[in-house]
Amino acid sequence: MKDIEHLLRVAAIFLVAIALFVAVRSVVKPESYGKLGRYRAAALDEIKALPVRYAGQQECGPCHKTQAREKAGSSHRGISCESCHGALAAHAAAPKTAKALKPEESSMRGFCLRCHEAAVSKPAKFPTVEGGKHNPDMACSMCHKPHSPKI
Amino acid sequence: MHDSVVIALRDTLDKVTGFIYPNELELQWSILIVLYPYLTGLVAGAFILASLERVFNVKVLKPTYRLSLLTALAFLMIAPLPLQVHLGHPERSFNILFTPNPTSAMAMFGFVYLWYLMAVLLMEIWLDYRKEIVGWADTDPSWLKRLIYKVMTLGVFKPTEKSFVIDDRVGRALTIIGLPSAVLLHGYVGFIFGSIKANPWWSTPLMPIIFLFSAMASGIAGVMLLYMFLCWARDVEIEMPCLDTVAKYFLTAVIVAFSLEMLESIQTAYEAEEHFDIIQLLIEGKLYISLIVIQICLGSLLPILLLGLTQIFELPEKVRKVFYAVSGTLSLIGIFAMRWNVVVGGQFFSKSLMGFTTYKLELAGREGLFSASVIAVLPFFVLAGLLWLLPPWENKPGGAA
Repeated sequence: MKDIEHLLRVAAIFLVAIALFVAVRSVVKPESYGKLGRYRAAALDEIKALPVRYAGQQECGPCHKTQAREKAGSSHRGISCESCHGALAAHAAAPKTAKALKPEESSMRGFCLRCHEAAVSKPAKFPTVEGGKHNPDMACSMCHKPHSPKI
Repeated sequence: MHDSVVIALRDTLDKVTGFIYPNELELQWSILIVLYPYLTGLVAGAFILASLERVFNVKVLKPTYRLSLLTALAFLMIAPLPLQVHLGHPERSFNILFTPNPTSAMAMFGFVYLWYLMAVLLMEIWLDYRKEIVGWADTDPSWLKRLIYKVMTLGVFKPTEKSFVIDDRVGRALTIIGLPSAVLLHGYVGFIFGSIKANPWWSTPLMPIIFLFSAMASGIAGVMLLYMFLCWARDVEIEMPCLDTVAKYFLTAVIVAFSLEMLESIQTAYEAEEHFDIIQLLIEGKLYISLIVIQICLGSLLPILLLGLTQIFELPEKVRKVFYAVSGTLSLIGIFAMRWNVVVGGQFFSKSLMGFTTYKLELAGREGLFSASVIAVLPFFVLAGLLWLLPPWENKPGGAA
């Protein structure tokens, strides 16, 4: 026994370390972890409980008929209203108090170029311009109306 | 925000050639991820060199046995640091242990690492040094060292002679377990790259084995250079039979590693699948210096030539030492270039197979050259500390380490 005393002590240290690991794990491991998979099941309820910020574009058309009609016939028809006007659930619920975001003309250029700046990785048919060369001092909306951009 | 995105997009235009997918514009795995397999490789290689003496009874390697173990430990202690720095949030890293995911190779790393560090390396070093530790706990002039040694004896101050015989057997068994563990540790690094099927530059079952043999070459080269340096620094004679044998193993490891790398390349070239064109452009262009010049010519062929000359001709001791030092250094640089070519090279081209992006190594910053250099140098400080605490040469008659 005396010959392997040191090994028994090492074994004891390992056992204590493993016990400590198990104990710490039982404290720090989120309670709902592993119920549904390798994530916290409670995260689903937490996400569900977050307030809804986006209304969806079917909410816009009934009030903003002209813009909805214009956009439906343009190349921007696939872009949702909230892509440019921000999250609108609050506005749809109380149109008078919560105002929709309207992109300012001054910052509009950067806003448009976010999609339309030329880049090699964009499909050839997608309309792009080199922002630095294409009428750099003018707001895009001088010529292209956002709801129906074709001139 | 909008303008900055546009400016960033415009800036990337200069970085790109051909058509590449937008999510591949930016290179995510930086120099720190190059450093990580490099450091673990040195660990595995150094340990395998140590096990040659212990398991395969290559007694002539005795002077490098303990140095190899301490080198492996020093590098292993720093090996996860590049990952921590790359990912940020080190406080979250424990989650891979607390909420393990057995289907993720990366998530299993924590256990592979812990096993190797705790059960193999620390145990083996402790068992090997125990006899001295018990003595030093009484006799060392420094009270701090005496205190550390006392803790390390685990309270067994009067060990029996039979216990050392048992230690030797347990240590041997540990090395036998440790050998596949070292293979697992580094094979796993290659496995992670080899199993990324979206990237034809990485996705090959040969990857773990290529990583393993280059790891052996780098680890053996590292210990060989350290041994030569420490003998010079301590002003003691190098034991040439030991150095010659280390160099012989080093040559074997370099030849196998190089052959495997070439085999993989030739196979890729001969198969010439749809991704071969882009790989050919990559090799001839962006990776020409780091792959053809540094990795193949300077890092593999020249060391094989120099070490081969020492095997064929009976060169004088001085020349052999110079050849070993030069080929060891070149090989270490070449293997770093190999990690670079795999990690960074694999991210240069797009999955579109029609274009390249660029990697500009920053100087400062979290993933910059400066922080990578600090991490690369840290293991040597750890090793200096280990050599101070556990001198590998203390009980050797004749003095050499």
